[in-house]
Amino acid sequence: MIATFGYLTLVLAFLLALYGLIVVIFGLYQRSTAFIQSARSALMLIFPMVSISLIAMLILLLDDRFDVAYVYSVSSRSMPVYLKMTALWGGQSGSLLFWSWLLSGFSITFASRNWKKERDLLPWVLLVLTLVSAFFLFLNVFTEMPFERFWEFEDGSRVLSVLQPRGSISLMPIDGQGLNPLLRHPGMIWHPPALYLGFIGLVIPFAMAIAALAAGRKDQQWITISRSWILIAWVFLSLGLVLGMQWAYDVLGWGGYWGWDPVEIAALLPWLSATAFLHTALLQRRRDIFKRWNFFLVILTFSLVIFGTFLTRSGVISSVHAFGSSSVGPLLFGFTTIILIGGLGFLGYRWKNLQGTHFPEFTFSRELLTVFTNLILLSTLAVCVLGVIYPILSEWITGAPMTVGPEWYERITGPLFLLLLLLTGICPLAGWGLTYFSRLKRRLLIVIPLSLLVPLAVRLLTGVRGVVLFLSLWMASLGVLILLAQVGHDVKLVVTRFEDKILVALWRFFRRNRLRYGALLVHLGIVVMSLGIIGLEGLQQETQVTLKPRESALLNDYHFRFDGVENFEDDDGISVIQANLTVIRDGKLVTTLSPQRQIFAQMGLAVTQPSVDSNLARDLYAILVESQFSTQETVTFRFYVTPLVNWLWIGTAMLTLGTLIALLPHKRLKS
Amino acid sequence: MVNSEQEGVKSPRWKYIIGGALFVIAVILLVISATRATAEFFMTIEELQGSQANLAGENLRVSGAVLGDSIAYDTETGLLHFTIAHIPAEEDEIEALGGLGAVLHQAANDSDEPLLDVVYQGAQPDMLRHEAQAIVTGSLNADGVFMAEELLLKCPTKYEEALPEQAE
Repeated sequence: MIATFGYLTLVLAFLLALYGLIVVIFGLYQRSTAFIQSARSALMLIFPMVSISLIAMLILLLDDRFDVAYVYSVSSRSMPVYLKMTALWGGQSGSLLFWSWLLSGFSITFASRNWKKERDLLPWVLLVLTLVSAFFLFLNVFTEMPFERFWEFEDGSRVLSVLQPRGSISLMPIDGQGLNPLLRHPGMIWHPPALYLGFIGLVIPFAMAIAALAAGRKDQQWITISRSWILIAWVFLSLGLVLGMQWAYDVLGWGGYWGWDPVEIAALLPWLSATAFLHTALLQRRRDIFKRWNFFLVILTFSLVIFGTFLTRSGVISSVHAFGSSSVGPLLFGFTTIILIGGLGFLGYRWKNLQGTHFPEFTFSRELLTVFTNLILLSTLAVCVLGVIYPILSEWITGAPMTVGPEWYERITGPLFLLLLLLTGICPLAGWGLTYFSRLKRRLLIVIPLSLLVPLAVRLLTGVRGVVLFLSLWMASLGVLILLAQVGHDVKLVVTRFEDKILVALWRFFRRNRLRYGALLVHLGIVVMSLGIIGLEGLQQETQVTLKPRESALLNDYHFRFDGVENFEDDDGISVIQANLTVIRDGKLVTTLSPQRQIFAQMGLAVTQPSVDSNLARDLYAILVESQFSTQETVTFRFYVTPLVNWLWIGTAMLTLGTLIALLPHKRLKS
Repeated sequence: MVNSEQEGVKSPRWKYIIGGALFVIAVILLVISATRATAEFFMTIEELQGSQANLAGENLRVSGAVLGDSIAYDTETGLLHFTIAHIPAEEDEIEALGGLGAVLHQAANDSDEPLLDVVYQGAQPDMLRHEAQAIVTGSLNADGVFMAEELLLKCPTKYEEALPEQAE
């Protein structure tokens, strides 16, 4: 009953999207406001419909309705409630339902804004949103049906169907297969929704870009309106990426955070182009240049979002993230092509209309740095795309398929990211138009030597060498110092001007310049994040040892002492082997660690559960590799000492806060 | 990023184009050198063993079905030994044989499929078990043993089961 109801509301939602699409085309053709309004209402009605469907799916999951194939495949009785809820996005069809729900949520919010001043844009926005909604709801209704159930005929044959076939009875399995053990982690709560919010949020700027092109607008109103949407999408995308890193670090048991998995790359691609757009959009608003480029970036970004869903959901790629083989591949690939070609078609149509006023001088300025940033981001993007399609490309050209791995990506993107890090840090030095170096001289004379101290200190204290490490630490500390010096400079300016009521004056100053300080904080966050990445990439030390009880291993001044093994059964029927360790440094107790191996007997799967002790300076990370305790009284461990990891997460928090500050409502930009 | 029509070669536009071109050339050189150094040939076990060329030392990536009995972990050396059996690489061929699950099952159990011994330095991954698909990256040594630097595993059967086994 609930399942059928959930399916019917989905069908209704699809019909509404289809109706909206047809009516808006008709309205555009007839220049009829009534039709446009009708399409708008239809689009807004999709949200309640998909919401009902989503609630139905949640009820089925919480109610252990294993006769529903989706519930059977991702849930089981013993799973805690929070995992049963997250199982909503633990499989292909459920996550597509969740996707459509978020899309309808963005659509209703955006469609319900006041369009009085942009009447010419509204129909085109509706066209894009109903088209995208209709496409994804089509997948929900016809190819990836989350509400399919098991049915059994008298002769014992079984089928999958939404509606009951004649002569069959419902088949209710005793228990479900349960969520993939690798996904049973609190990370499952935040990582997928954050990424999805980021991906889908990008539909709004795309719709605005197409509308502006179609309506023949020459102004930058579309950017002004899209701005907060793209910032929201961008911050969720960033959060989603970092939450994924954290999850990989916590769970996957290899002490890493990023594996250049094609699906990770698929999520990085729109982030790169959206970041590029955030910068050139500012240039357009300030200088009225890069009009065509900005349209191109937004069209590219949304195409990459759909391309990412293709990579993840079509089964062309094998990875932790992929959903397994499926029939939606060709459809998603086709839709990617439509979005890209269609978008570029509109851009080509208006190409001559969109001339910029002038080209910025080639001198050390914000303009030049922005262009350079774009060049690096887009090169990185191109390299990533090349890496993902390399097997297909090489087979096509030479006949022998070749692949590229993490090392390939690191070799190429390493220098690019290093440049980007440098630019992130030094951007406040450059002014709009022209920079007067004489004014910066004093600051640079202090900052540059000071920033060199950090890499030198690391080299002397740890003895770890390497040009890349030295340079990246230098760039990071240079960035932090320049950004802080900038804030210090501003504070001094205010303090000398207002001798009394300094705090009030400061508050006013920061509030008036919140865009600037939001951006500064985001940049500072990224530089701080790079410290964590430097720790992981350049300073991590590891060892693998087999220990008997009371024996210990030494790594980077830390003694890891093996105390013993515990075997116990978890509530969920998972049997756990836990090793207890004591970490001692200079004769003092540092912490205790207890890495585990969890055995899911039902699935014949074992999952490694690392144990981590974390502070601002370093992480101590222990993995139970293999227990031979029952036979030889030994256990094999892998230990990692990784400096600075926590700064990756702290930097992310700064980046989020900075974006929120920039998102606060503001009255004027040009001041 | 080509923008407005500007007059003369001295315009900033040309400086941008030249600067941008230099940068792009640098990136392309970087890509070429990285590809030379690290790109891997993607081969099946059959192709690997049928190949006339001397592949010892080349970067290779091979996929196969894991034989459960062959998995042995040496705690002294930290080396993981296992054997994989040939599976086809073409998706169409796999589909024609009844899907990846069936192909892996067939290859790992009763077959005269070509086999490849693999040695991997590192922790035993959770998903390494009978009939899993192993994708190994590394190179062949002189004895024809595959020295894997990277090990990727995939277990399709469990999650692709269309219909439940147990029912009331």
